[in-house]
Amino acid sequence: MSARISAKTLRHLIVIGLIALWELLPRAGLIPELFLPSLSSTLMAGWTDAGEYGHALAVTLYEVVVSMAFACGGGILLGAIVGSLPRPRVLIMPMVSSLYAVPLVILYPVFTVWLGIGSESKIAFASIYGFLPTMLATSAGIQTIDPQLLLAARSMGATLSQRLVRVIIPAAIPTVLSGLRVGGALVIVGVVVSEMLISSAGIGYLISRYRTILDSPHVFAGVLLVLFLAIGFNAVIRWIERKAAIWQTGTRAGQANDDIASSAMQPAT
Amino acid sequence: MQPLANVTPLKPAARAGAIEVKNVGQVFKTRSQDVIALEDVSLEIKPGRFVVLVGPSGCGKSTLLMMMAGLRQQTAGTITISGAPILQPDPDRVGVVFQEASLFPWLTAEDNVEFPLALRGVPKAERRAKAQDALKLVGLDGFGRRHPHELSGGMKQRVSIARGLVQDPPVLLMDEPFAALDEQTRMTMGDELLRIWAATGKTVVFVTHSLTEAVYLADEVIVMSARPGRIVDHLQVQLPRPRTYEMLSGDAFGSLRDRIWRHIRKSA
Repeated sequence: MSARISAKTLRHLIVIGLIALWELLPRAGLIPELFLPSLSSTLMAGWTDAGEYGHALAVTLYEVVVSMAFACGGGILLGAIVGSLPRPRVLIMPMVSSLYAVPLVILYPVFTVWLGIGSESKIAFASIYGFLPTMLATSAGIQTIDPQLLLAARSMGATLSQRLVRVIIPAAIPTVLSGLRVGGALVIVGVVVSEMLISSAGIGYLISRYRTILDSPHVFAGVLLVLFLAIGFNAVIRWIERKAAIWQTGTRAGQANDDIASSAMQPAT
Repeated sequence: MQPLANVTPLKPAARAGAIEVKNVGQVFKTRSQDVIALEDVSLEIKPGRFVVLVGPSGCGKSTLLMMMAGLRQQTAGTITISGAPILQPDPDRVGVVFQEASLFPWLTAEDNVEFPLALRGVPKAERRAKAQDALKLVGLDGFGRRHPHELSGGMKQRVSIARGLVQDPPVLLMDEPFAALDEQTRMTMGDELLRIWAATGKTVVFVTHSLTEAVYLADEVIVMSARPGRIVDHLQVQLPRPRTYEMLSGDAFGSLRDRIWRHIRKSA
Protein backbone atom coordinates (compact mmCIF):
# COMPACT_ATOMS: atom_id res chain seq x y z
CA MET A 1 0.00 0.00 0.00
CA SER A 2 1.36 3.40 -0.93
CA ALA A 3 1.98 5.94 1.81
CA ARG A 4 -0.56 8.46 0.47
CA ILE A 5 -4.23 7.85 -0.11
CA SER A 6 -5.78 9.68 -3.02
CA ALA A 7 -8.70 12.02 -2.39
CA LYS A 8 -10.97 9.69 -4.30
CA THR A 9 -10.14 6.64 -2.20
CA LEU A 10 -10.53 8.71 0.92
CA ARG A 11 -13.95 9.86 -0.22
CA HIS A 12 -15.00 6.29 -0.84
CA LEU A 13 -13.70 5.27 2.57
CA ILE A 14 -15.72 8.02 4.22
CA VAL A 15 -18.90 6.90 2.46
CA ILE A 16 -18.29 3.27 3.39
CA GLY A 17 -17.57 4.34 6.96
CA LEU A 18 -20.83 6.27 7.19
CA ILE A 19 -22.78 3.32 5.81
CA ALA A 20 -21.14 1.02 8.33
CA LEU A 21 -21.93 3.44 11.17
CA TRP A 22 -25.53 3.64 9.97
CA GLU A 23 -25.76 -0.11 10.43
CA LEU A 24 -23.73 -0.43 13.60
CA LEU A 25 -24.80 2.51 15.79
CA PRO A 26 -28.52 1.62 15.96
CA ARG A 27 -27.70 -2.08 16.35
CA ALA A 28 -25.41 -1.39 19.26
CA GLY A 29 -28.22 0.58 20.84
CA LEU A 30 -26.26 3.84 20.79
CA ILE A 31 -29.01 5.52 18.77
CA PRO A 32 -32.67 4.59 19.31
CA GLU A 33 -34.22 2.87 16.27
CA LEU A 34 -36.92 5.55 16.26
CA PHE A 35 -34.35 8.26 15.50
CA LEU A 36 -32.23 6.22 13.13
CA PRO A 37 -33.26 2.73 12.12
CA SER A 38 -30.36 0.53 11.02
CA LEU A 39 -29.58 0.31 7.34
CA SER A 40 -30.70 -3.30 7.13
CA SER A 41 -34.11 -2.65 8.67
CA THR A 42 -34.53 0.38 6.37
CA LEU A 43 -33.74 -1.73 3.32
CA MET A 44 -36.01 -4.46 4.64
CA ALA A 45 -38.89 -2.01 5.03
CA GLY A 46 -38.36 -0.82 1.49
CA TRP A 47 -38.12 -4.37 0.19
CA THR A 48 -41.30 -5.66 1.83
CA ASP A 49 -43.31 -2.74 0.50
CA ALA A 50 -41.49 -2.54 -2.81
CA GLY A 51 -44.73 -2.24 -4.73
CA GLU A 52 -45.84 0.78 -2.75
CA TYR A 53 -42.45 2.47 -3.11
CA GLY A 54 -42.28 1.61 -6.79
CA HIS A 55 -45.63 3.26 -7.38
CA ALA A 56 -44.59 6.32 -5.36
CA LEU A 57 -41.33 6.54 -7.28
CA ALA A 58 -43.20 6.41 -10.58
CA VAL A 59 -45.47 9.27 -9.50
CA THR A 60 -42.56 11.37 -8.26
CA LEU A 61 -40.44 10.67 -11.34
CA TYR A 62 -43.31 11.64 -13.61
CA GLU A 63 -43.78 14.93 -11.74
CA VAL A 64 -40.04 15.61 -11.76
CA VAL A 65 -39.66 14.96 -15.48
CA VAL A 66 -42.61 17.11 -16.49
CA SER A 67 -41.61 19.95 -14.13
CA MET A 68 -38.04 19.70 -15.40
CA ALA A 69 -39.25 20.17 -18.97
CA PHE A 70 -41.27 23.23 -17.99
CA ALA A 71 -38.60 24.72 -15.74
CA CYS A 72 -35.68 24.18 -18.09
CA GLY A 73 -37.48 24.86 -21.34
CA GLY A 74 -39.18 27.96 -20.04
CA GLY A 75 -36.12 29.11 -18.13
CA ILE A 76 -33.81 28.83 -21.12
CA LEU A 77 -36.31 30.47 -23.47
CA LEU A 78 -37.16 33.41 -21.25
CA GLY A 79 -33.57 33.73 -20.06
CA ALA A 80 -32.40 33.98 -23.66
CA ILE A 81 -34.94 36.70 -24.40
CA VAL A 82 -34.20 38.64 -21.24
CA GLY A 83 -30.46 38.19 -21.68
CA SER A 84 -30.33 39.48 -25.21
CA LEU A 85 -32.89 42.29 -25.14
CA PRO A 86 -32.32 45.19 -22.74
CA ARG A 87 -35.91 46.40 -22.62
CA PRO A 88 -37.55 43.27 -21.20
CA ARG A 89 -34.53 42.90 -18.94
CA VAL A 90 -35.19 46.26 -17.31
CA LEU A 91 -38.84 45.36 -16.87
CA ILE A 92 -38.52 41.79 -15.64
CA MET A 93 -35.18 41.35 -13.90
CA PRO A 94 -35.80 43.36 -10.71
CA MET A 95 -39.03 41.44 -10.21
CA VAL A 96 -37.42 38.07 -10.83
CA SER A 97 -34.51 38.82 -8.53
CA SER A 98 -36.74 39.81 -5.63
CA LEU A 99 -39.03 36.88 -6.32
CA TYR A 100 -36.00 34.63 -6.03
CA ALA A 101 -35.57 35.69 -2.40
CA VAL A 102 -39.17 34.83 -1.50
CA PRO A 103 -39.69 31.36 -0.04
CA LEU A 104 -41.90 30.18 -2.89
CA VAL A 105 -43.25 27.31 -0.85
CA ILE A 106 -45.78 29.77 0.62
CA LEU A 107 -47.45 29.69 -2.80
CA TYR A 108 -48.00 25.96 -2.70
CA PRO A 109 -51.27 25.99 -0.72
CA VAL A 110 -52.63 28.42 -3.31
CA PHE A 111 -51.70 26.03 -6.10
CA THR A 112 -53.57 23.20 -4.37
CA VAL A 113 -56.64 25.41 -4.27
CA TRP A 114 -56.32 26.16 -7.96
CA LEU A 115 -55.20 22.78 -9.26
CA GLY A 116 -56.18 20.21 -6.62
CA ILE A 117 -53.88 17.94 -4.63
CA GLY A 118 -52.91 15.74 -7.57
CA SER A 119 -49.79 15.93 -9.69
CA GLU A 120 -50.80 19.19 -11.35
CA SER A 121 -50.20 21.37 -8.31
CA LYS A 122 -46.80 19.71 -7.68
CA ILE A 123 -45.76 20.20 -11.28
CA ALA A 124 -46.85 23.84 -11.19
CA PHE A 125 -44.97 24.51 -7.97
CA ALA A 126 -41.78 22.63 -8.88
CA SER A 127 -41.72 24.17 -12.37
CA ILE A 128 -41.78 27.70 -10.99
CA TYR A 129 -39.32 26.73 -8.30
CA GLY A 130 -36.76 25.39 -10.77
CA PHE A 131 -37.53 27.95 -13.45
CA LEU A 132 -36.01 30.95 -11.71
CA PRO A 133 -32.37 29.84 -11.41
CA THR A 134 -32.41 28.40 -14.93
CA MET A 135 -33.67 31.66 -16.31
CA LEU A 136 -31.25 33.78 -14.30
CA ALA A 137 -28.30 31.64 -15.36
CA THR A 138 -29.28 31.64 -19.03
CA SER A 139 -29.75 35.38 -19.00
CA ALA A 140 -26.39 35.86 -17.29
CA GLY A 141 -24.76 33.41 -19.70
CA ILE A 142 -25.89 35.42 -22.68
CA GLN A 143 -25.03 38.76 -21.13
CA THR A 144 -21.50 37.68 -20.27
CA ILE A 145 -20.67 36.72 -23.85
CA ASP A 146 -17.63 38.71 -24.87
CA PRO A 147 -18.84 41.37 -27.36
CA GLN A 148 -15.49 41.05 -29.14
CA LEU A 149 -16.46 37.52 -30.17
CA LEU A 150 -19.63 38.76 -31.80
CA LEU A 151 -17.75 41.60 -33.47
CA ALA A 152 -15.14 39.18 -34.78
CA ALA A 153 -17.85 36.90 -36.15
CA ARG A 154 -19.49 39.85 -37.85
CA SER A 155 -16.19 40.92 -39.40
CA MET A 156 -15.96 37.47 -40.97
CA GLY A 157 -19.35 37.95 -42.55
CA ALA A 158 -21.50 35.93 -40.12
CA THR A 159 -25.22 36.51 -40.52
CA LEU A 160 -27.50 36.94 -37.49
CA SER A 161 -28.53 33.28 -37.48
CA GLN A 162 -24.91 32.15 -37.91
CA ARG A 163 -23.92 34.31 -34.96
CA LEU A 164 -26.70 32.74 -32.89
CA VAL A 165 -25.84 29.14 -33.75
CA ARG A 166 -22.06 29.40 -33.94
CA VAL A 167 -21.27 32.00 -31.28
CA ILE A 168 -24.08 32.84 -28.86
CA ILE A 169 -25.26 29.30 -28.12
CA PRO A 170 -21.84 27.67 -27.67
CA ALA A 171 -20.63 30.63 -25.61
CA ALA A 172 -23.66 30.44 -23.31
CA ILE A 173 -23.72 26.65 -22.84
CA PRO A 174 -21.49 26.37 -19.74
CA THR A 175 -23.49 28.95 -17.78
CA VAL A 176 -26.79 27.52 -18.94
CA LEU A 177 -25.70 24.04 -17.82
CA SER A 178 -24.81 25.29 -14.37
CA GLY A 179 -28.25 26.90 -14.24
CA LEU A 180 -29.81 23.59 -15.23
CA ARG A 181 -27.93 21.85 -12.45
CA VAL A 182 -29.31 24.20 -9.83
CA GLY A 183 -32.74 24.44 -11.43
CA GLY A 184 -33.03 20.66 -11.78
CA ALA A 185 -32.04 20.11 -8.16
CA LEU A 186 -34.68 22.62 -7.08
CA VAL A 187 -37.28 20.80 -9.18
CA ILE A 188 -36.62 17.62 -7.20
CA VAL A 189 -36.79 19.56 -3.95
CA GLY A 190 -40.01 21.24 -5.07
CA VAL A 191 -41.72 18.00 -6.01
CA VAL A 192 -40.76 16.15 -2.83
CA VAL A 193 -41.56 19.05 -0.50
CA SER A 194 -44.95 19.65 -2.06
CA GLU A 195 -45.71 15.94 -1.83
CA MET A 196 -44.89 16.07 1.85
CA LEU A 197 -47.18 19.04 2.47
CA ILE A 198 -50.49 18.28 0.85
CA SER A 199 -50.72 15.19 -1.30
CA SER A 200 -52.01 11.69 -1.87
CA ALA A 201 -49.13 10.05 -3.73
CA GLY A 202 -45.39 10.11 -4.33
CA ILE A 203 -42.29 9.54 -2.24
CA GLY A 204 -42.73 12.72 -0.25
CA TYR A 205 -46.23 11.64 0.64
CA LEU A 206 -44.99 8.22 1.80
CA ILE A 207 -42.28 9.78 3.96
CA SER A 208 -44.75 12.15 5.51
CA ARG A 209 -47.38 9.46 6.13
CA TYR A 210 -44.97 6.98 7.73
CA ARG A 211 -43.59 9.77 9.88
CA THR A 212 -47.02 10.44 11.39
CA ILE A 213 -47.22 6.80 12.49
CA LEU A 214 -43.59 6.88 13.71
CA ASP A 215 -42.52 4.08 11.35
CA SER A 216 -38.88 5.14 11.03
CA PRO A 217 -37.60 2.33 8.77
CA HIS A 218 -40.24 3.19 6.18
CA VAL A 219 -39.48 6.93 6.49
CA PHE A 220 -35.81 6.29 5.88
CA ALA A 221 -36.52 3.98 2.96
CA GLY A 222 -38.26 6.95 1.35
CA VAL A 223 -35.37 9.23 2.21
CA LEU A 224 -32.97 6.77 0.58
CA LEU A 225 -35.08 6.76 -2.55
CA VAL A 226 -34.98 10.59 -2.78
CA LEU A 227 -31.24 10.41 -2.25
CA PHE A 228 -30.87 8.03 -5.17
CA LEU A 229 -33.04 10.28 -7.29
CA ALA A 230 -30.78 13.25 -6.58
CA ILE A 231 -27.62 11.22 -7.21
CA GLY A 232 -29.07 9.94 -10.47
CA PHE A 233 -29.93 13.47 -11.58
CA ASN A 234 -26.45 14.64 -10.74
CA ALA A 235 -24.94 11.82 -12.78
CA VAL A 236 -27.05 12.78 -15.79
CA ILE A 237 -26.00 16.42 -15.56
CA ARG A 238 -22.36 15.42 -15.18
CA TRP A 239 -22.65 13.29 -18.28
CA ILE A 240 -24.14 16.17 -20.27
CA GLU A 241 -21.47 18.54 -19.01
CA ARG A 242 -18.72 16.17 -20.06
CA LYS A 243 -20.32 15.74 -23.46
CA ALA A 244 -20.75 19.44 -24.02
CA ALA A 245 -17.86 21.04 -22.27
CA ILE A 246 -14.41 21.00 -23.69
CA TRP A 247 -14.27 24.69 -22.93
CA GLN A 248 -14.87 24.59 -19.19
CA THR A 249 -11.49 26.16 -18.55
CA GLY A 250 -10.28 29.53 -19.61
CA THR A 251 -13.52 31.13 -20.71
CA ARG A 252 -15.36 34.03 -19.21
CA ALA A 253 -18.53 32.01 -19.28
CA GLY A 254 -16.78 29.26 -17.35
CA GLN A 255 -15.89 31.66 -14.58
CA ALA A 256 -19.30 33.29 -14.45
CA ASN A 257 -20.51 29.75 -14.01
CA ASP A 258 -19.07 29.26 -10.59
CA ASP A 259 -20.42 32.55 -9.27
CA ILE A 260 -23.95 31.67 -10.26
CA ALA A 261 -23.73 28.12 -9.01
CA SER A 262 -22.49 29.20 -5.61
CA SER A 263 -24.91 32.08 -5.20
CA ALA A 264 -27.85 29.99 -6.28
CA MET A 265 -27.06 27.02 -4.08
CA GLN A 266 -28.94 28.45 -1.13
CA PRO A 267 -32.55 28.42 -2.20
CA ALA A 268 -35.22 29.91 0.02
CA THR A 269 -37.42 26.94 0.70
CA MET B 1 -21.32 43.93 -51.98
CA GLN B 2 -23.12 45.88 -54.66
CA PRO B 3 -21.34 46.96 -57.81
CA LEU B 4 -21.75 50.69 -58.11
CA ALA B 5 -22.35 52.11 -61.56
CA ASN B 6 -20.51 55.34 -60.97
CA VAL B 7 -17.25 53.76 -59.86
CA THR B 8 -14.83 53.66 -62.76
CA PRO B 9 -13.36 50.13 -62.95
CA LEU B 10 -9.73 51.25 -62.85
CA LYS B 11 -7.78 48.07 -63.62
CA PRO B 12 -9.17 46.06 -60.67
CA ALA B 13 -5.99 44.02 -60.22
CA ALA B 14 -3.90 47.14 -59.74
CA ARG B 15 -6.35 48.60 -57.25
CA ALA B 16 -6.68 45.47 -55.14
CA GLY B 17 -5.69 46.45 -51.63
CA ALA B 18 -5.94 50.19 -52.20
CA ILE B 19 -7.83 52.09 -49.49
CA GLU B 20 -9.42 55.46 -50.02
CA VAL B 21 -11.04 57.42 -47.21
CA LYS B 22 -12.83 60.57 -48.39
CA ASN B 23 -14.20 63.29 -46.10
CA VAL B 24 -15.28 60.75 -43.53
CA GLY B 25 -17.02 61.92 -40.40
CA GLN B 26 -18.61 60.17 -37.44
CA VAL B 27 -21.05 61.77 -35.03
CA PHE B 28 -22.30 59.93 -31.95
CA LYS B 29 -25.69 61.14 -30.89
CA THR B 30 -26.25 61.12 -27.16
CA ARG B 31 -29.29 62.40 -25.33
CA SER B 32 -27.80 65.74 -24.38
CA GLN B 33 -25.49 66.49 -27.31
CA ASP B 34 -23.85 65.25 -30.45
CA VAL B 35 -20.25 64.15 -30.04
CA ILE B 36 -18.08 64.54 -33.12
CA ALA B 37 -15.73 61.57 -33.03
CA LEU B 38 -14.23 62.04 -36.48
CA GLU B 39 -14.29 65.09 -38.69
CA ASP B 40 -13.43 65.33 -42.36
CA VAL B 41 -10.87 62.54 -42.45
CA SER B 42 -9.36 61.83 -45.85
CA LEU B 43 -6.46 59.58 -46.68
CA GLU B 44 -5.20 57.32 -49.38
CA ILE B 45 -3.30 54.10 -48.86
CA LYS B 46 -1.53 52.40 -51.73
CA PRO B 47 -1.64 48.61 -52.09
CA GLY B 48 0.93 46.71 -50.08
CA ARG B 49 1.77 49.55 -47.67
CA PHE B 50 2.12 49.13 -43.94
CA VAL B 51 0.26 52.05 -42.39
CA VAL B 52 -0.02 52.73 -38.67
CA LEU B 53 -2.68 54.91 -37.07
CA VAL B 54 -1.66 56.59 -33.81
CA GLY B 55 -3.23 59.24 -31.63
CA PRO B 56 -4.36 59.97 -28.08
CA SER B 57 -7.13 57.89 -26.52
CA GLY B 58 -10.49 58.81 -27.93
CA CYS B 59 -9.15 60.21 -31.19
CA GLY B 60 -11.30 57.80 -33.16
CA LYS B 61 -8.53 55.70 -34.66
CA SER B 62 -10.26 52.45 -33.74
CA THR B 63 -13.54 53.91 -34.97
CA LEU B 64 -11.92 54.66 -38.31
CA LEU B 65 -10.59 51.11 -38.49
CA MET B 66 -14.03 49.66 -37.66
CA MET B 67 -15.52 51.73 -40.49
CA MET B 68 -12.89 50.40 -42.91
CA ALA B 69 -13.90 46.91 -41.79
CA GLY B 70 -17.56 47.68 -42.50
CA LEU B 71 -18.43 47.03 -38.85
CA ARG B 72 -19.64 50.57 -38.33
CA GLN B 73 -21.23 53.07 -40.67
CA GLN B 74 -19.75 56.56 -40.98
CA THR B 75 -22.17 59.48 -40.81
CA ALA B 76 -20.41 61.36 -43.63
CA GLY B 77 -18.06 60.57 -46.51
CA THR B 78 -17.08 57.37 -48.27
CA ILE B 79 -14.56 54.59 -47.79
CA THR B 80 -13.51 52.47 -50.75
CA ILE B 81 -11.36 49.38 -50.63
CA SER B 82 -10.04 47.73 -53.78
CA GLY B 83 -12.03 50.27 -55.78
CA ALA B 84 -15.50 49.63 -54.32
CA PRO B 85 -17.21 51.23 -51.34
CA ILE B 86 -17.31 49.27 -48.12
CA LEU B 87 -20.84 49.16 -46.72
CA GLN B 88 -20.74 46.00 -44.62
CA PRO B 89 -18.12 43.45 -43.54
CA ASP B 90 -16.63 41.81 -46.60
CA PRO B 91 -14.12 39.09 -45.69
CA ASP B 92 -13.08 38.75 -49.33
CA ARG B 93 -11.60 42.21 -49.26
CA VAL B 94 -10.78 42.80 -45.61
CA GLY B 95 -9.47 40.60 -42.80
CA VAL B 96 -9.65 41.96 -39.25
CA VAL B 97 -7.46 41.15 -36.25
CA PHE B 98 -8.74 42.34 -32.89
CA GLN B 99 -7.17 42.64 -29.47
CA GLU B 100 -6.59 39.45 -27.56
CA ALA B 101 -9.55 37.23 -26.65
CA SER B 102 -11.42 37.35 -29.91
CA LEU B 103 -10.75 33.65 -30.56
CA PHE B 104 -13.65 31.31 -29.88
CA PRO B 105 -12.57 29.42 -26.75
CA TRP B 106 -14.63 26.33 -27.55
CA LEU B 107 -12.88 25.78 -30.90
CA THR B 108 -9.38 24.49 -31.54
CA ALA B 109 -6.85 26.78 -33.20
CA GLU B 110 -7.48 25.23 -36.60
CA ASP B 111 -11.26 25.37 -36.18
CA ASN B 112 -10.90 29.05 -35.28
CA VAL B 113 -8.91 29.66 -38.44
CA GLU B 114 -11.45 27.70 -40.47
CA PHE B 115 -14.36 29.62 -38.98
CA PRO B 116 -14.72 32.25 -41.73
CA LEU B 117 -14.53 29.51 -44.37
CA ALA B 118 -17.12 27.41 -42.54
CA LEU B 119 -19.48 30.40 -42.53
CA ARG B 120 -19.60 30.29 -46.30
CA GLY B 121 -19.85 26.53 -46.59
CA VAL B 122 -16.38 25.75 -47.93
CA PRO B 123 -15.94 21.93 -47.97
CA LYS B 124 -14.13 20.45 -45.00
CA ALA B 125 -11.04 19.21 -46.83
CA GLU B 126 -10.40 22.52 -48.53
CA ARG B 127 -11.00 24.35 -45.26
CA ARG B 128 -8.52 22.20 -43.44
CA ALA B 129 -5.87 22.65 -46.12
CA LYS B 130 -6.21 26.42 -46.12
CA ALA B 131 -6.14 26.58 -42.34
CA GLN B 132 -2.98 24.48 -42.25
CA ASP B 133 -1.32 26.83 -44.73
CA ALA B 134 -2.34 29.89 -42.73
CA LEU B 135 -1.12 28.35 -39.46
CA LYS B 136 2.17 27.43 -41.11
CA LEU B 137 2.53 31.01 -42.35
CA VAL B 138 2.22 32.41 -38.83
CA GLY B 139 4.62 29.83 -37.42
CA LEU B 140 2.10 27.64 -35.63
CA ASP B 141 2.56 24.43 -37.58
CA GLY B 142 1.54 21.55 -35.31
CA PHE B 143 -0.46 23.63 -32.83
CA GLY B 144 -3.76 23.33 -34.69
CA ARG B 145 -5.35 20.92 -32.22
CA ARG B 146 -4.85 23.12 -29.18
CA HIS B 147 -7.59 25.21 -27.67
CA PRO B 148 -6.99 28.93 -27.09
CA HIS B 149 -6.55 28.50 -23.34
CA GLU B 150 -3.67 26.14 -24.06
CA LEU B 151 -1.84 28.81 -26.05
CA SER B 152 0.22 31.79 -24.88
CA GLY B 153 -0.89 35.35 -25.59
CA GLY B 154 1.48 35.66 -28.53
CA MET B 155 0.35 32.35 -30.01
CA LYS B 156 -3.28 33.35 -29.69
CA GLN B 157 -2.58 36.49 -31.63
CA ARG B 158 -0.80 34.43 -34.29
CA VAL B 159 -3.96 32.34 -34.61
CA SER B 160 -5.97 35.56 -34.99
CA ILE B 161 -3.65 36.70 -37.76
CA ALA B 162 -3.97 33.32 -39.47
CA ARG B 163 -7.75 33.66 -39.24
CA GLY B 164 -7.57 37.12 -40.77
CA LEU B 165 -5.44 35.84 -43.64
CA VAL B 166 -7.15 32.53 -44.35
CA GLN B 167 -9.44 33.93 -47.03
CA ASP B 168 -6.50 35.79 -48.60
CA PRO B 169 -8.00 39.29 -48.53
CA PRO B 170 -5.76 42.05 -49.95
CA VAL B 171 -6.22 44.16 -46.80
CA LEU B 172 -5.52 43.28 -43.17
CA LEU B 173 -6.86 45.64 -40.49
CA MET B 174 -5.38 45.29 -37.01
CA ASP B 175 -6.88 46.97 -33.95
CA GLU B 176 -4.19 47.17 -31.26
CA PRO B 177 -3.42 43.50 -31.78
CA PHE B 178 -0.42 43.39 -29.42
CA ALA B 179 -1.74 45.72 -26.71
CA ALA B 180 -2.34 42.90 -24.25
CA LEU B 181 1.07 41.31 -24.72
CA ASP B 182 4.17 41.84 -22.60
CA GLU B 183 7.02 43.93 -23.98
CA GLN B 184 9.21 41.05 -25.13
CA THR B 185 6.43 39.13 -26.82
CA ARG B 186 5.33 42.36 -28.40
CA MET B 187 8.75 42.92 -29.99
CA THR B 188 8.86 39.37 -31.32
CA MET B 189 5.34 39.61 -32.67
CA GLY B 190 6.23 42.86 -34.43
CA ASP B 191 9.07 41.13 -36.26
CA GLU B 192 6.81 38.18 -37.03
CA LEU B 193 4.14 40.46 -38.43
CA LEU B 194 6.69 42.21 -40.66
CA ARG B 195 7.85 38.82 -41.93
CA ILE B 196 4.27 37.75 -42.69
CA TRP B 197 3.56 41.10 -44.32
CA ALA B 198 6.64 40.79 -46.52
CA ALA B 199 5.69 37.25 -47.47
CA THR B 200 2.09 38.06 -48.40
CA GLY B 201 2.26 41.64 -49.69
CA LYS B 202 -0.96 42.66 -47.93
CA THR B 203 -2.00 46.22 -47.26
CA VAL B 204 -1.87 46.51 -43.47
CA VAL B 205 -3.57 49.18 -41.39
CA PHE B 206 -2.46 48.90 -37.80
CA VAL B 207 -3.80 50.84 -34.81
CA THR B 208 -1.55 51.22 -31.77
CA HIS B 209 -0.86 53.35 -28.70
CA SER B 210 2.86 52.68 -28.83
CA LEU B 211 4.90 55.24 -30.74
CA THR B 212 7.93 52.95 -30.83
CA GLU B 213 5.84 50.17 -32.31
CA ALA B 214 4.36 52.62 -34.82
CA VAL B 215 7.71 53.82 -36.17
CA TYR B 216 9.27 50.36 -36.02
CA LEU B 217 6.58 48.71 -38.12
CA ALA B 218 5.33 51.39 -40.49
CA ASP B 219 5.94 52.63 -43.99
CA GLU B 220 3.66 55.52 -43.10
CA VAL B 221 2.38 56.80 -39.78
CA ILE B 222 -0.89 58.72 -39.63
CA VAL B 223 -1.22 60.85 -36.51
CA MET B 224 -4.68 61.82 -35.30
CA SER B 225 -5.82 64.43 -32.79
CA ALA B 226 -8.34 63.96 -30.00
CA ARG B 227 -12.00 64.89 -30.32
CA PRO B 228 -12.90 65.79 -32.91
CA GLY B 229 -10.61 63.23 -34.51
CA ARG B 230 -8.67 64.71 -37.39
CA ILE B 231 -5.50 63.80 -39.22
CA VAL B 232 -2.76 66.13 -38.02
CA ASP B 233 0.22 64.51 -39.68
CA HIS B 234 0.98 61.83 -42.25
CA LEU B 235 4.64 60.95 -42.19
CA GLN B 236 6.74 58.58 -44.24
CA VAL B 237 9.14 56.30 -42.40
CA GLN B 238 12.17 56.02 -44.63
CA LEU B 239 14.09 53.57 -42.46
CA PRO B 240 15.44 50.64 -44.46
CA ARG B 241 13.94 47.17 -44.21
CA PRO B 242 14.30 44.74 -42.63
CA ARG B 243 13.94 46.80 -39.48
CA THR B 244 16.32 45.86 -36.71
CA TYR B 245 16.45 46.32 -32.98
CA GLU B 246 19.50 48.61 -33.36
CA MET B 247 17.43 51.16 -35.30
CA LEU B 248 15.40 51.85 -32.17
CA SER B 249 18.28 53.82 -30.68
CA GLY B 250 19.21 55.62 -33.92
CA ASP B 251 18.72 59.35 -34.56
CA ALA B 252 16.33 58.87 -37.49
CA PHE B 253 14.09 56.71 -35.35
CA GLY B 254 14.22 59.12 -32.43
CA SER B 255 13.34 62.19 -34.45
CA LEU B 256 10.35 60.47 -36.04
CA ARG B 257 9.10 59.37 -32.67
CA ASP B 258 9.61 62.87 -31.22
CA ARG B 259 7.67 64.42 -34.07
CA ILE B 260 4.71 62.12 -33.41
CA TRP B 261 4.91 62.71 -29.68
CA ARG B 262 4.81 66.51 -30.10
CA HIS B 263 1.59 66.21 -32.07
CA ILE B 264 0.00 63.98 -29.50
CA ARG B 265 1.05 66.09 -26.53
CA LYS B 266 -0.38 69.17 -28.22
CA SER B 267 -3.77 67.64 -28.85
CA ALA B 268 -4.18 65.63 -25.65
